[in-house]
Amino acid sequence: MAVTKSSPVPDMVVLSGELWQGFLELVTGQYRVIGPVRRGSEHVFAPIKNPREIDMAYVTTILPPKKVFHQPFQVLFSFDTEEGTLAEAQSGEEKVVWGIHPCDMHAIAILDKVYGVEYPDPYYLRNRENTIIVAKNCTEVGENCFCLSMGTGPALRSGCDLLLTDLGGRYLVEVGTEKGRKLLSGLELVPAPRVVLVEKEKRLSQARQKFKKRMVTQGIQELLEENFRHPIWEELMRECLACGSCTMVCPTCFCYNVVDKIDLDLKTGRRQREWDSCMLLEYAQVALGQNFRRDRDARIKQRMYHKLLYYEPQFGTLGCVGCGRCIGACVKRIDITDVVSRLAESVESDR
Amino acid sequence: MSTKPKVSVYKLSSCAGCQLEFLNLEPVLLDLVGAIEFSYFPMARRRYEPGPYDIGFVEGAVTCGEEIERLKKARQECRVLVALGSCACYGGLPSIKNWTPERVIVSRVYENPALVHSIKAYGIDEYVQVDAYLKGCPVNKDELVEFIKGTLLGIRPRLRPHSVCVECKLNEYECISVIKREPCMGPVTTAGCGALCPSRGKACDGCRGPANDANAESLARTFSEYGLHRSDIVRRFRKFAGLTQEFSRGADAV
Repeated sequence: MAVTKSSPVPDMVVLSGELWQGFLELVTGQYRVIGPVRRGSEHVFAPIKNPREIDMAYVTTILPPKKVFHQPFQVLFSFDTEEGTLAEAQSGEEKVVWGIHPCDMHAIAILDKVYGVEYPDPYYLRNRENTIIVAKNCTEVGENCFCLSMGTGPALRSGCDLLLTDLGGRYLVEVGTEKGRKLLSGLELVPAPRVVLVEKEKRLSQARQKFKKRMVTQGIQELLEENFRHPIWEELMRECLACGSCTMVCPTCFCYNVVDKIDLDLKTGRRQREWDSCMLLEYAQVALGQNFRRDRDARIKQRMYHKLLYYEPQFGTLGCVGCGRCIGACVKRIDITDVVSRLAESVESDR
Repeated sequence: MSTKPKVSVYKLSSCAGCQLEFLNLEPVLLDLVGAIEFSYFPMARRRYEPGPYDIGFVEGAVTCGEEIERLKKARQECRVLVALGSCACYGGLPSIKNWTPERVIVSRVYENPALVHSIKAYGIDEYVQVDAYLKGCPVNKDELVEFIKGTLLGIRPRLRPHSVCVECKLNEYECISVIKREPCMGPVTTAGCGALCPSRGKACDGCRGPANDANAESLARTFSEYGLHRSDIVRRFRKFAGLTQEFSRGADAV
């Protein structure tokens, strides 16, 4: 057996007190870390300088951690029309995203299919490759969370490099990949006893009891297909502000627009992409002003039907992960779970 | 003789804040002057060059007959005519007087009303054809430069048509409406300002006028739920763009 300087990192450790602080300092000292921090009364994923900035008790963030991989604004390349040259944007350094919840991890798994399979997207994939993901199971549940009924939480089974679970004052850290194991190297660690998994399961089943919101997913495809002309859509058309917030905060929305930012010399510039949204009127507008989804109800339906009906044949999964951000961001409190329940109820009462 | 595109800047009834934004473009002003020639810009240059001009920016609302004459002349001498700021786009702040009889308004302000020949305040497209609208009170500098670049290149400049909410979310500003339950005009107001007011924790004032497909009636109902009095709701929707179809629906909703 090869002799290594430090002892090997076990698959499962429990960290608390100084050891946990030491771990945080080690990671934030070595990597560019992006983690949940408080902003006003909300939270955002932001670069961490001091480990104390991290708020591990966050429930949700304004934008999902998707923004690290599929960035709101991403420069694709810069150009010089006089020289006839293109320079591709350089990729960033290796970084760590800290504390991603299971719903957002499932959303990233969906984006991996969108941007990684049929038409591999080099920008997304590069951001994905140079990022180490530390996920965190949810032991607390937000008022808009419904991941339990989507099968995307509150516990994560796979897909991250390291997985944290809050055991109350101490954290269970499970190694998912070798990339994740690397983060722990340099610490003096002893393997956690298997019995700690019982404690973990206890915490998670307590969390499962806390959900107040649920989505009716049984027969949802049929329900939506048969109710395309239900009066509820007209009601939503009158309510919806078409502001686009629901799609901006969605962890599985992947649409973007491509724009050229030209310098004042009118010769050089950058081509960049930025998030776009099917809720916006101009999204489906084509030449001569024709618009395929001029009516607001058509756009509301497009959003909900895409997440709950059209995704499955495209990507083999539902497009909603139950993070509840669209509900929390809506000024009119339009609630996708409520829309589905009401459809189901009206069908039930018709029988 | 310069071969650079000639630009003119006109002022009607306004505070001059929008044309001041040209001068506030200081970091790129020299580059801008390298690309265009300010041929008629009384606030910045003593010397005028006669038209025709390639791009004409008109600031301010039309509030008297003499301004209609000047506006029509501006239209004739400019290839592209632009409404610069919300006054020129919609009537802007001067248009708040439109819901009070002219006689009452004039006598409230002037000692000798007989000398004043004012009319209802309208945006410039009430009288002439307008090629582009740069919204805001004042206009956004980046949008102004973006517009000039697009026009010089002969391409459609990217002016965001959607709501302020989009920019608020892209920048992750705390939601003034949902979190603070303050009457924010963001959901129905055109973006392009970078959600400036919400970035400072202040509700959007709606200065950029209605966004694409703005649902002002629904937002007015929400304001009412937030406890805003009917008269305050009316004031919010009439502050900058009360003459627009969308915002007048908001003012009439509750």
